[in-house]
Amino acid sequence: MVVKSSGGAQIAALEVAAAPRPWREWLRRRTRLVLGLLSVLAFLGIWNLATARGWISPVFLPSPAAVAAEAGNTLDTGELWRAVLASSERVFAGFFLAAAVAVPLGVLMGVWWPAKAIIDPFVSLLRPLPSITWIPLTILWLGIGEAQKTAIVFMGSWIYILIYTIESTKRVDPLLIRAARNLGATDVALMREVILPGALPGILSGLKVTLAISWSCVITAEMVAAQTGLGAIIWRAKDWGNLPLVLVGMAGISVTVLVADTLAELLERLLIPWERRRPR
Amino acid sequence: MERQAILRAEGVSKGYLEARGAGLVALEDLSLDIWEGEFLCLIGASGCGKTTLLNIFAGFIEPTRGRVLLRGKPILGIEPRCGMVFQSYALFPWKTVRGNVEFGPKMKGAGRAERRQIAQRYIDMVKLRGFEGRYPYELSGGMQQRVTLARALAADPEVLLMDEPFAALDAMTRQVMQEELLRIHEESQKTVVFITHNIDEALILADRIVVLSARPGRVKSILTNDLPRPRHVTIQLSPEYARLKSEIWTHVEEEVHQHLEASRYAAAGGG
Ligand SMILES: Nc1ncnc2c1ncn2[C@@H]1O[C@H](COP(=O)(O)OP(=O)(O)OP(=O)(O)O)[C@@H](O)[C@H]1O
Ligand SMILES: [Mg+2]
Repeated sequence: MVVKSSGGAQIAALEVAAAPRPWREWLRRRTRLVLGLLSVLAFLGIWNLATARGWISPVFLPSPAAVAAEAGNTLDTGELWRAVLASSERVFAGFFLAAAVAVPLGVLMGVWWPAKAIIDPFVSLLRPLPSITWIPLTILWLGIGEAQKTAIVFMGSWIYILIYTIESTKRVDPLLIRAARNLGATDVALMREVILPGALPGILSGLKVTLAISWSCVITAEMVAAQTGLGAIIWRAKDWGNLPLVLVGMAGISVTVLVADTLAELLERLLIPWERRRPR
Repeated sequence: MERQAILRAEGVSKGYLEARGAGLVALEDLSLDIWEGEFLCLIGASGCGKTTLLNIFAGFIEPTRGRVLLRGKPILGIEPRCGMVFQSYALFPWKTVRGNVEFGPKMKGAGRAERRQIAQRYIDMVKLRGFEGRYPYELSGGMQQRVTLARALAADPEVLLMDEPFAALDAMTRQVMQEELLRIHEESQKTVVFITHNIDEALILADRIVVLSARPGRVKSILTNDLPRPRHVTIQLSPEYARLKSEIWTHVEEEVHQHLEASRYAAAGGG
């Protein structure tokens, strides 16, 4: 027969072909971990050798041991913890404020074109400005306290969150919107049941990217005008010529952002279970 | 006999603007009355505009010319009274099987217990008991297709628009689903508009079979299928069945040849 519809045989074949090989995946992941660890150890070894043999003067680069000792000191006195805490508080205040403004605004702009038309010009004008350019104005308006740091983080973050949110909202599959309407969804139900969950993965990955940007904003702000925080530690250490402390501050930033990122990832998996086991 | 047309297409044409700027006429001057409570099958070559016609009935797209009436009133927006079973499933990926099937009742304001009960009935009907908590990506194509069917049925529309709903099923599951659908149709007296490529399927299910011409789609012929109901697979052995089948086949064959001819021409012209 010529007129014949595609049967289920193809689908069954696909399912067999996609059967996973867990042990191989496990082995690869292990190997990846070991290789990464080895590469870090090799780097530390070369660094150690270069400083111990005097190839690089300690004026330009302290030895790993000196950095480790300085890290131990600042941990003992609690200085490092206080700095991490101070910076984190500023990041979270600015970041959550930015998300609280930009996510609803972005969804609105994604579903209702007049809102987008009204706000778009400001987005285009503000987007090219690095957060550091807001420092003079924010100091003038808010002084050099916590509010000013929060404002810098806010100004550096909200536009990215907005752009990600608009894009993810607009990219919700129109077929699913049709389906929901066809099943009798009202505007409110459509928003709650389809647009928000459909845009959520995109919004969350936007928030994750922006979190790292927020961190770089706070460090910049702290380097210019602050008594506390990781940025302030680095800047003060530079003034005192304490190079190990500069490196401790830098490592502190890396580790803190990594931890924040991991937490964000965990939260993401919790919030969107339907993407959890989907192959990426 | 005075019967009411529940759905009526009056001189419906639909053109698409293609990306290259050229126009494409999917449907041309198509008129069709669909009677209340009947089971109508649409048959036609691939690309002749079947999905387009169904989308117009559902109010997803507007015809370029002509109009479509539902119980005598023009369809102006998306029409929940015409429930669609999508060719490409269109399941909500963030909802489980149960969440998807509960969607229609939920939109109608059914309470938690009530919609769960309705959903369970249709999940059982499409033989997906035990998969209620799965997400669509965890299901095979054929299972997803059955969820779409259950979702549309649970929403209880007046007209069921079904776009090749059994295409991804194996022969056995397909037969079971056909029997279930016939049972539902008999019990509920719902109007069903059913697209298929499969003449046997049309003969088992339909009261009337509409053969569409190759693109642009028009009604080429309408055949009344008065094989006795309730029907069973064994009906395929009757001489009446064979006669109807060969009659449909002659209508379809011409169109398929024309369609293949046109594609060959297009391929030669394009290359
Ligand atoms: N959104 C669109 N834009 C442009 N052309 C379209 C669009 N949708 C459909 N078409 C064209 O209209 C014609 C009819 O499409 P339609 O999907 O209605 O066919 P069909 O009969 O359902 O085919 P099949 O049996 O393969 O599903 C096709 O040639 C297709 O390329
Ligand atoms: Mg189609």
